[in-house]
Amino acid sequence: MAFSLELLKGNVKIEDCTPLLDDPKYQEKYLKLKDLLKSEEGKKKELKINIENELCDGCGICVTICPVNARYCYSILSGKAPDYPPDTHQLFMVKEGKCELLNIKYCRRLETEGKERECRVCETYCPREALKIEYI
Amino acid sequence: MSEQLKITCSGCSLLCDDIIIIKDDKEIKEILGACQKGINKFNQIKSKNRILSPLYKDKGGLKVLEWDLALNKAIQIIKNAKKPLIYGLSTISCESQILALKIAKKIDAFIDSNSTICQGKFLNIASEMGITTTTLTEIINKSDLIILWGTNIVESIPRLFSKILFSRGKFRMTGREIKNLIIVDIYKTASFKVMGTRDLAIIIRPNEDIELIKILKKAVKGDYTFPNEGISGIDKQDLERFKTFLLNSEHITILPGQALLNQKTNGDAIKELLELVNLLNNIKNNGRISLLMVGGHYNMVGFEHMALSETGKNQSIQFKNGESIKSDDNIISKIQKEDFDLSIIIGTDPISHFPLEISKILSSKPIILIDNKKSGTFLIATLILPTSITGIENKGLAFRLDHVPIQLKKIIEPPSLIQSDYELLQKILDRLNK
Repeated sequence: MAFSLELLKGNVKIEDCTPLLDDPKYQEKYLKLKDLLKSEEGKKKELKINIENELCDGCGICVTICPVNARYCYSILSGKAPDYPPDTHQLFMVKEGKCELLNIKYCRRLETEGKERECRVCETYCPREALKIEYI
Repeated sequence: MSEQLKITCSGCSLLCDDIIIIKDDKEIKEILGACQKGINKFNQIKSKNRILSPLYKDKGGLKVLEWDLALNKAIQIIKNAKKPLIYGLSTISCESQILALKIAKKIDAFIDSNSTICQGKFLNIASEMGITTTTLTEIINKSDLIILWGTNIVESIPRLFSKILFSRGKFRMTGREIKNLIIVDIYKTASFKVMGTRDLAIIIRPNEDIELIKILKKAVKGDYTFPNEGISGIDKQDLERFKTFLLNSEHITILPGQALLNQKTNGDAIKELLELVNLLNNIKNNGRISLLMVGGHYNMVGFEHMALSETGKNQSIQFKNGESIKSDDNIISKIQKEDFDLSIIIGTDPISHFPLEISKILSSKPIILIDNKKSGTFLIATLILPTSITGIENKGLAFRLDHVPIQLKKIIEPPSLIQSDYELLQKILDRLNK
């Protein structure tokens, strides 16, 4: 998982994964991956969480389900909105009926105390499909 | 100087009590935590649709009236009526609902709330069978299975999922991972998008819910094999999973929606579902299965409580000689029979909501509208009396969807000369008593 994240971010290339090159049985997958990434391979990319304002209805599911929010905002555990002003680690909050990204720095997908994770809960459970995780 | 306040939103029946607003002396600057439905409620303050003075429909169109004249006009219309109707009452405070009941008693009216064509039908059958509803706190802390039956929560009560399904709870610290979700509906609604791999999506043919409930009743009793071809468009495998979920979950909450209430089976589907609830409660040794009604208007439940305590009946109350009498009618049958000569509509829009035939009959008689915004009913009302917005411009008590009473605060001053529902209804009652 860590390798695929690094690959997405452009920190490593497919060739850095030795089993994919050494074993002939992975040849097909290697070519598929090469085709998928094309010229994007190796380009440094940054994590973006895009929130489409038109689609968002402020249901607050992303605020409640985000593990970072839950760790730092105690009221979220019982389904309540976080306190204001927001905690420095807080990722999302609902303002004027729309979700707002406060601070991407502490997202689990980024390096946080060396425990980087392939977390996509906010995107997965958004009922309006307003939230998208992208590497640009 | 701006200040920060924690308030309760009156945008829908969830009555979110965790909304933060930043306001100065005159207006609200920022609203934090409220969904779009809540924001729309706050937007009503300065909406173009706001009614800001009493209006009377004359031959030449709508005329602005002075308050004193408007109240006199209202009393005159009410006193001329022999069979008045009072309808709505789900978007006013409990205190105002009591006053409306007193007015109904005074003028021998038929009084009914939106509940009669919504959750009221379900609640009446449930109370007859001795089944109680649950609270949000119990669902947050204990539920491990939530069943949405014919309701689209994401659209109707946007924040309910983040409160009951995605919250961690005291005894269920892992939250979503341990709470399972079953949705039964006739097509994939927006609510289906929150489903995970362990959840169960049931797409059923319209009006065949009763077949599914009957089969589940047989299955949970044991010694029953589902037909190989499934039933009502549901696979055998899904039926097996449904049964396993019902038998193996500890605390189950069912949220029945309008789709189940308005079945052609005339209430039989509701009875069957409640019998299934009773059956499971008898079979299960630990935990329980309970209901949560998901009405839309923010104080629909309040009227049930107020009417019950004032008259002994929770909806569709007919007064005669100052006493409530037995009546099998509800608002629809009353209009259908044309058994009325005036309707007093409070905080709702029946002309837009009712079927066209019913709306036509309703609009053929004089209407007094008490509301804060323009609507379909506004366009045909004879007399319009504007009010302030409860929960923003005046305080009052309201009951949350799980029957928990919550006090709504006054946040800002209403527009000049606009009074609350309570003050207005009190003035009407005083003038009727004179």
